[in-house]
Amino acid sequence: MKKIILIASLLTGSLFAQVKGDIEVPYISYQIKMGKGFDSVQANCLMCHSFGYILNQGPQSKLFWDKKIDKMVEEFKAPITKEDHKIIAEYLFKHYGNGKLK
Amino acid sequence: MKRRDFLKTSIVASAAVMGTSSVLSANETHQPNDRRKVSNMAFPEKRPLITYSDRPPLLESPRSTFARGITENDEFFVRWHLPDIPTHIDLDKFSIKINGMVKKELEVTVAELKNDFEQVEVTAVVQCGGNSRSAFTPTPGGVQWGSGAMGCAKWKGVRLSDLLERAGLQKGAHWIGFNGEEKAAYYKTPNFVRELELSELDDHVIVAYEMNGEDLPYLNGFPLRLIIPGYYSDSWVKMLSNITVTDKYKSLFFMDKAYRVPDNETEGETPDHLVKKTKPITHMNVKSVIGYPENGMKIYHNSHIVVRGVAFDGGHGIDKVYVSVDGGKSWDRAELKRENGRYAYTEFRYTYKPTKYGKLQFMAKAVNYLGDEQPFAKDIPWNRGGYKYNGIDEVTVEVI
Ligand code: HEC
Repeated sequence: MKKIILIASLLTGSLFAQVKGDIEVPYISYQIKMGKGFDSVQANCLMCHSFGYILNQGPQSKLFWDKKIDKMVEEFKAPITKEDHKIIAEYLFKHYGNGKLK
Repeated sequence: MKRRDFLKTSIVASAAVMGTSSVLSANETHQPNDRRKVSNMAFPEKRPLITYSDRPPLLESPRSTFARGITENDEFFVRWHLPDIPTHIDLDKFSIKINGMVKKELEVTVAELKNDFEQVEVTAVVQCGGNSRSAFTPTPGGVQWGSGAMGCAKWKGVRLSDLLERAGLQKGAHWIGFNGEEKAAYYKTPNFVRELELSELDDHVIVAYEMNGEDLPYLNGFPLRLIIPGYYSDSWVKMLSNITVTDKYKSLFFMDKAYRVPDNETEGETPDHLVKKTKPITHMNVKSVIGYPENGMKIYHNSHIVVRGVAFDGGHGIDKVYVSVDGGKSWDRAELKRENGRYAYTEFRYTYKPTKYGKLQFMAKAVNYLGDEQPFAKDIPWNRGGYKYNGIDEVTVEVI
């Protein structure tokens, strides 16, 4: 087996220093479906991450979305009321559901 | 952070909206999603990449990057967990703190790192433990990556062991916690902290300030990043600002729940029978990915095609890569180029002359020096986090 792993080097200083001043991360305007319950999604699901997290899951079951909201509450401490939970799960299943309950 | 409308571009055609197709047979692991295209917007210091999220940024490298042994900085994947990332770092003020069970607490600036310690380099693959997660059914928790949550770069910095030696470890020191500047948006959400046992950290672990001869790109962890060759990237803490030595392990969400697999022989489980005992993902398993050609490309009959790709593992090194053009019935050795050591991508190359018209499928399979070889995707058992997929890669082209 070759054993070149670490090569000590005396040079310091990068070839290019890249960042000048602040960086600005662009905002994406997600093509999100409007409908009943959307307000609750907007109020509860955008605090910690973008819609991209939801959209990239693909169409999923009712149970999947229910459990996903549970995960947000239990593991990441999202402050979501039982009422909102229900509304959001229905919205997600309606617009990003696969037709199956579980 | 302020809303800006200068980006009216929508990303309909990009990753975020394209889910996994539903025609796949239930519960069988398959090829990761390869239908996503790079988006039409570029993030700072990056070219447009496959884009999942802006807050926090999640960007995937396209398949073409696996045709080369080193991944360009501007094509390197980006993966943060929490939305609150500083948008400005003042290099004169930024320092890394080393505290806890040390004899002398240290606060080291980037300039001091460059001048007061031995400078070392290592070329190493960094791969998210959830890379290729979209290969699993049913959908496991997490971002549904294709194959591009990985890359290979030459990292330069100083040894972690040199830093710890300068600080001096107290008796009983056992765990090291690594903390970066990425912060949760909500005060109760656990922050992303990594804890590793001192015994896991050898001389190959470095605190890097440079990637492929340039400052670390901002989104890859500028100004300092922990480099743990052979390990999945969850431990490669970005914007590293704090190293705390302790005697006891602290219970933390991202350590106890995320980035773990079943602690059994196959590291598998089923959704109905989740395995109780789990272990951290740590070392990468053997994997190869084809960089050229790509799915759906058209290739001329009787032309000479050079299949290129990369192979790697957790540091034992790649012994062989095989290519099959008959669905895995027979395998032929590819040529290898091992230039950058055992933690880096090994490039492979295979020349082929297609003599039949129609669909042609290439498969690639790597074997490491331990004799571990990649399984077929369908033989990889499911796990709830969708970690460690390393199925034999497939690319189908059309011969015309
Ligand atoms: C308190 C913070 C917080 C809130 C509020 C929150 N999430 Fe999350 N969510 C997270 C974190 C943290 C992750 C994991 C981030 C990572 O690893 O990149 C996550 C990940 C996800 C994922 C990716 C899949 C997975 O299993 O990790 C989905 C889908 C998701 N959230 C949906 C939602 C929905 C729907 C809501 C609203 C009901 C919501 N989130 C509200 C913190 C939050």
